[in-house]
Amino acid sequence: MRNPAALLAAAEFDPAISVDGLVPGGVVHPESGEEVAALLAMCDQHKFTATPVGGGTKLALGNVPPKMDVAVSTLGLGGVRAYEPSDLVCSLGAGARFGDVQAVLAEHGQTIPLDAPDDATIGGLVATAIAGPRRLGNGSLRDLLIGIEVAHPSGTVTHGGGMVVKNVSGFDMPRVYHGSLGTLGIIVSANFKVLPLPQRETTVVGTHQRLNEALAAARRIRQSRIMPLALEVSRSGDGWSTAVRIGGHEATLDGAVLEVQRLLGHDPQLIEGPESSAWWRGYISATDLRLEHDAALLRLSVRPRDVDTMAEGAVGALSQLGIASPVVAISPGLGQVIIRLEPEPADAHDRFLTARDVLSALADHAVVLAAPPAWKRGIDVWGPAPATLPVMKALKEQFDPGGVLNAGRFVGFI
Amino acid sequence: MDRSALIDRLIAVCGERGVFHTRSDLMVYEYDGSVDGSVETALPVAVTLPTSTEQVAEIVRIANLAGLPVTPRGAGTGLSGGAVTQDGGIIIALTRMDRIIEIDREDRTALVEPGVINLELSETTTPLGMFFAPDPSSQRACTVGGNVAENSGGPHCLKYGVTSNHILGLEVVLPNGDVVWTGSTPAGAPGYDLTGAIVGSEGMFGIVTKALVRLTPNPQSTLVQLAAFPDLDTASTAVSRIIAAGILPASLEMMDNLTIQAVEPAYHAGYPMDAGGVLLVETDGLIEEVAALGEEITAICKNSYATEVRSATEKAQRDLLWKGRKMALAAMGRLSPNYYLHDTVVPRSQLPATVARVREIGDEFGIEIANVFHAGDGNLHPLMLFDRHKPGDVERVLGAGKEIINWCVSVGGALSGEHGIGTEKRGYMTMVYTGEDLAAMAGLRNAFDPGGRLNPGKVFPKGYSCGEVRALRAQAIAQKHDIHPV
Ligand SMILES: Cc1cc2nc3c(=O)[nH]c(=O)nc-3n(C[C@H](O)[C@H](O)[C@H](O)COP(=O)(O)OP(=O)(O)OC[C@H]3O[C@@H](n4cnc5c(N)ncnc54)[C@H](O)[C@@H]3O)c2cc1C
Repeated sequence: MRNPAALLAAAEFDPAISVDGLVPGGVVHPESGEEVAALLAMCDQHKFTATPVGGGTKLALGNVPPKMDVAVSTLGLGGVRAYEPSDLVCSLGAGARFGDVQAVLAEHGQTIPLDAPDDATIGGLVATAIAGPRRLGNGSLRDLLIGIEVAHPSGTVTHGGGMVVKNVSGFDMPRVYHGSLGTLGIIVSANFKVLPLPQRETTVVGTHQRLNEALAAARRIRQSRIMPLALEVSRSGDGWSTAVRIGGHEATLDGAVLEVQRLLGHDPQLIEGPESSAWWRGYISATDLRLEHDAALLRLSVRPRDVDTMAEGAVGALSQLGIASPVVAISPGLGQVIIRLEPEPADAHDRFLTARDVLSALADHAVVLAAPPAWKRGIDVWGPAPATLPVMKALKEQFDPGGVLNAGRFVGFI
Repeated sequence: MDRSALIDRLIAVCGERGVFHTRSDLMVYEYDGSVDGSVETALPVAVTLPTSTEQVAEIVRIANLAGLPVTPRGAGTGLSGGAVTQDGGIIIALTRMDRIIEIDREDRTALVEPGVINLELSETTTPLGMFFAPDPSSQRACTVGGNVAENSGGPHCLKYGVTSNHILGLEVVLPNGDVVWTGSTPAGAPGYDLTGAIVGSEGMFGIVTKALVRLTPNPQSTLVQLAAFPDLDTASTAVSRIIAAGILPASLEMMDNLTIQAVEPAYHAGYPMDAGGVLLVETDGLIEEVAALGEEITAICKNSYATEVRSATEKAQRDLLWKGRKMALAAMGRLSPNYYLHDTVVPRSQLPATVARVREIGDEFGIEIANVFHAGDGNLHPLMLFDRHKPGDVERVLGAGKEIINWCVSVGGALSGEHGIGTEKRGYMTMVYTGEDLAAMAGLRNAFDPGGRLNPGKVFPKGYSCGEVRALRAQAIAQKHDIHPV
């Protein structure tokens, strides 16, 4: 193990890594959990803040950090640490790239059924808990995570869970770190259940002139016997599309496809096999957090039964406000809408704030996933503090009393 | 607050009929489903049976004033001593909070109180086209609150996941008496996953007073197959082959010959008496899919030396095949006066070796061990048969249990797959976790319950109080890092 002081001394200045325009004083590249822990302990001692960075695909998430001293790259913690195809489990280094992992699993006809960019890292995916459309059919990483290894500012590395698919030996620590945005510790490795790849998959896309027609089509699918992997309604040209991803056993697919076609109506388009997964890659890239110009990405959620009202309300309100929303991705079964706002450059900031207020009022939760730092300053991107904030603050206090990890970026500025 | 003042205050909240305080009434609550001698227990000061969240919160506040610990309790079917008090205190039994408040057909969710009985929930929703997937074998008696606290599993968790995968949000009374909701949308509320933390917390983080649960659509078609094998090794091989073929059955259960000997004469489920092991495989889904999978499974079993494969699609036939499995525990009475049901997990590929080792351990300790288990998950349930009136039997059984755990841990397994730690297995926690791992768990608990008032004495090894955890943690840090200033 390298000495933490030496690691820090070797930190590189890398302007390519930044969070909300802030470039960290240096980027360090630890290669083991012990090194991360020692580094964090040192940061704690010297009151440095530390920001874990993986593939850099979701750095936009969170409140604007008050300062950024050290960025801890997890790319040195990569690799498939263990993979037992016959047990359908694997252990992955936090820095392993999602695309690389999928390639290894695919050799054995298996997969982690998550929609994520190939360059995202496993640690980042666990920490941000962002799941794509397939959450509907396959759940999120929360449902697949069976074990975890985390380095803390106390200088320790701890484990939770294990390599078995069912485990109630003590509290469910993996779930606590999932979605904690690296504020309790830096994930060193994580273990997952994997699933067999569907024998075949097909996507059926229906197009509709009006949003309510597209939503009605989605509703018909939800109420049918078909259990899609994903079901999404989105803006498509001047109209709306309803996309249904189905996969599974050869024996069922043809029948299911016919049924979906009938339920969607209007002569839907069929996208088969590898082209189907390519189509969904394109789909999720529209809601990528790496925004290139002054735009904002918001995620609204409600209970699914209320999603039509919320979606129509949101689209109606935005058009009334005259704010362009080129991307609207609705997940009816998940009760979620992701919207990209591109307000006119003149008073864009004010228009963004107005839009956020209006949209928040329609949802149970409204999170600003990404926006220019100037727009994020002064708001809590996670929305109003939940009633459980005292417990969350107490949790942070237990794991990171010095406020080393991603200070200020999480819910309630934790 | 003296005892009688305490009882008066509790009665003021819950009414005369909502508070038990006589010795004979309290003694009933000294037990849960676990075997005598396997868990530690003490007489509570009082047992309360609230009917509302407000009453629960008020009891917690009174307990805090009186400086007494609180233990939540459901049906008391737990097998690790979770629902019994360890050093007195107040039990809050949630069995009278048993309303199904709302069933949402469109979203497939139900909002329920914690005392709702697991099977009653599914029986209520099945006619509406959906069911509550976690199905512990105790489902006729156990409560949703207990399922949440133990993160319970069951045969169908192979495909559908354990309780945690089916809980969308919880209303909880925190140890300080505050009432909070932890989430309600499938996408989850922003912030730490407190719902996920509370599920499986063995009643130590908060008292669940409402749960928003996910319901699963009834499958269009269900097939149950019984495959008989000459021995457990061939049966285990078939399990591995089914999984390796990319098939994910709804459940995949295994029973050994001793179990068959107990259940078949009692329930006539049609298990071949001479089989060394039987597999019960259930597949569900769309009609075409189930039919195709059934054929594949038959082929795999036959190639793995199954002597017989029988299939049932009609409900009555399916129920009969299941009956033997579901009544396995009850049938054990035919073989022996008492049994100790163990619960451990190993990686699936370690099943054959583990089954062999369990047999050896039985021989070493001179006890009969029947095996009924969730083979698809690698979740073992060795049933150790004994007679508690025979001197030395309890000790032998506990000794064998420890050996089984030793083995399972040594092959990469875990202490418990579904029954929890409680007091039963707290002494084993250091076999799988370091002091630092336990300190992290203690940190999580401190966030919810800094005073350690809720269900104390569970999960952590004995003598592992908050103060010690902190000291241990500090010591670990000091040993690990002689931090050099930059
Ligand atoms: C014959 C038999 C078969 C079983 N089979 C299975 C099985 O297949 N799978 C399985 O997983 N388990 C099984 N169990 C174990 C047990 O039934 C489960 O753990 C069940 O979930 C416990 O529910 P309960 O209502 O009886 O809870 P209790 O035993 O009353 O309590 C269990 C724990 O939950 C806590 N608790 C209860 N209610 C609440 C609440 N509202 N809020 C917070 N904490 C609470 C208690 O403090 C305690 O720690 C079996 C038990 C028996 C006796």
